[in-house]
Amino acid sequence: MILSSLNLKNFRSHKDTNLKFSDKLNFIIGGNGQGKTTVLESIYYLCTTKSNCSKSDLEVVSFNETGFELNGIFNDLTESKIRIYYSALENKKYYYRDSKLISRSADIIGKFPIVILTPSDHSITQGAPSERRKFIDSIISQASENYLRTIIDYGRTLRQRSSLLFQIKDNRNKNIFSELDAWTEKLVESGLIIINYRKNFAADFIKFIVASYKIIMGETEVPTLRYSFLENYGGSDFKVEFFRLLDLKRNEELRRSTNLVGPHRDEILFEINNMSLKTYGSQGQHKTFQVVLRFAEFFYLKEVMGVVPLFLLDDIFGELDTKRSLKISEYLRELGQTFITMTDLTNLSFMKKNDNDKYITLNSGAVAYG
Amino acid sequence: MQIAEPLLRAIEELSKLPGIGRKTAQRLALHVLKSKDEDVSKLVNSLLELKTKLHYCSKCFNLAEGDLCEICMNTKRDQKLICIVEEASDVIAIEKTNEYNGIYHVIGGTLSPLSGIGPEDLKIKELLKRFENETIEEVILALNADTEGEATSLYLARLVKPLVTRVTRIARGLPIGGDLEFADEATIGRAMLSRNLL
Repeated sequence: MILSSLNLKNFRSHKDTNLKFSDKLNFIIGGNGQGKTTVLESIYYLCTTKSNCSKSDLEVVSFNETGFELNGIFNDLTESKIRIYYSALENKKYYYRDSKLISRSADIIGKFPIVILTPSDHSITQGAPSERRKFIDSIISQASENYLRTIIDYGRTLRQRSSLLFQIKDNRNKNIFSELDAWTEKLVESGLIIINYRKNFAADFIKFIVASYKIIMGETEVPTLRYSFLENYGGSDFKVEFFRLLDLKRNEELRRSTNLVGPHRDEILFEINNMSLKTYGSQGQHKTFQVVLRFAEFFYLKEVMGVVPLFLLDDIFGELDTKRSLKISEYLRELGQTFITMTDLTNLSFMKKNDNDKYITLNSGAVAYG
Repeated sequence: MQIAEPLLRAIEELSKLPGIGRKTAQRLALHVLKSKDEDVSKLVNSLLELKTKLHYCSKCFNLAEGDLCEICMNTKRDQKLICIVEEASDVIAIEKTNEYNGIYHVIGGTLSPLSGIGPEDLKIKELLKRFENETIEEVILALNADTEGEATSLYLARLVKPLVTRVTRIARGLPIGGDLEFADEATIGRAMLSRNLL
């Protein structure tokens, strides 16, 4: 999958910007506030219908405008034209693929696989467990529509069940326990599907982490990924354990009106030489690990889906030393189409030039190539 | 813009119907305006009759003209087999297949704590009462395959299991006559999981 051209209209600082891309590395260069990251955001929009950083479409619209529009042309075996139009007046977004309106976002997710590395990735290794669950969920969802639906179904089950727990606590209904049992069974049914998917994913994904880590860091350290579910359960009968924990926590669940057992409380632990990254990792180790995770995601999706994802890298060389930057820049050659933002090219003095690369400079709305 | 009040009122009322937006409502209202008087009377009367002549069956809560619905009155149907559905429209869907010869029970919705719908809001007490008076051997759960439908199925299964010999849930899988390649991935995935032994 190759994005050959892109037009942004009233999209943040871009009034009307036309861009042409190389099918290899694209360096997007410009000073602060010239809209480099915004270009990446718009590519993310085209591939997923959503922004990677802001929750509302309205935020993305340029000041004093009533909507934004994005047009992108993808080339695979054939050409696909993607058009997104958002109207702030209707607060509605229209997604067209080859002039056909697509109404369900589930019909898009996973069709244009994409991997994005941004400075906000620090939360994956340094933030709360929910950030790590979100990270692996987004990868598995791209590869499996069934997983995506189960996640949605499970989320709904959680909301229904906690509402019921609240009703029981509120004493509004005392004959509700058999109803709670039914929702508990539903929770376990969907929860087990999620656990199994995540377990298989973790076992697969670690191979990709180890491979990328070796290339970027050399062989001195060994990274691991540990998937911890159902209170760190180590046995083989997940269903029995799931019900046992629910039984054990029943009173606490009722007291707090909260779901206390299930994959929404899973943890994914990253380690280097068996030491917890979150507890003992240095800033540099964190940053490197975040880069490794995104490279691993890229190669994982490429293998599982059989399509080469687009790779977006936002300000990647900022915090890394020259040695690691060099390794990563060599590694970039093994990717497919890649978009890299940076403030100036001096950061790249160590990089070997290649005729297929494109250097795109953004300056106050003007675009220059070369 | 000024529109005659009777027309405006008709548009308002029609646009309250499900699936009808303002534009369609306007088209329908203007169509009625152009129609012959007798055709309009027929339409109005059929709608009124719908409300006055149709009730819910006192046994299964399907739509009925009398106290009992056609299906409950039909002695040729297998009275030992009962199919539980959410709405009367689901009965129509299953009846169209001509594949089912048992009886029904319409529970009138699904459990949804978020919307404040509990078992007492559904026709579940009425269902359990039927087990006292009738000899039922198998319960088929044919609720929607969404989150609430599945939770309600699990709830009902727990309730009726001690009362009958067999509780089943309808299969989820591929549409008949549909090409495998056109089915969505989640459906194919589910069909794979619940495959049958040949």
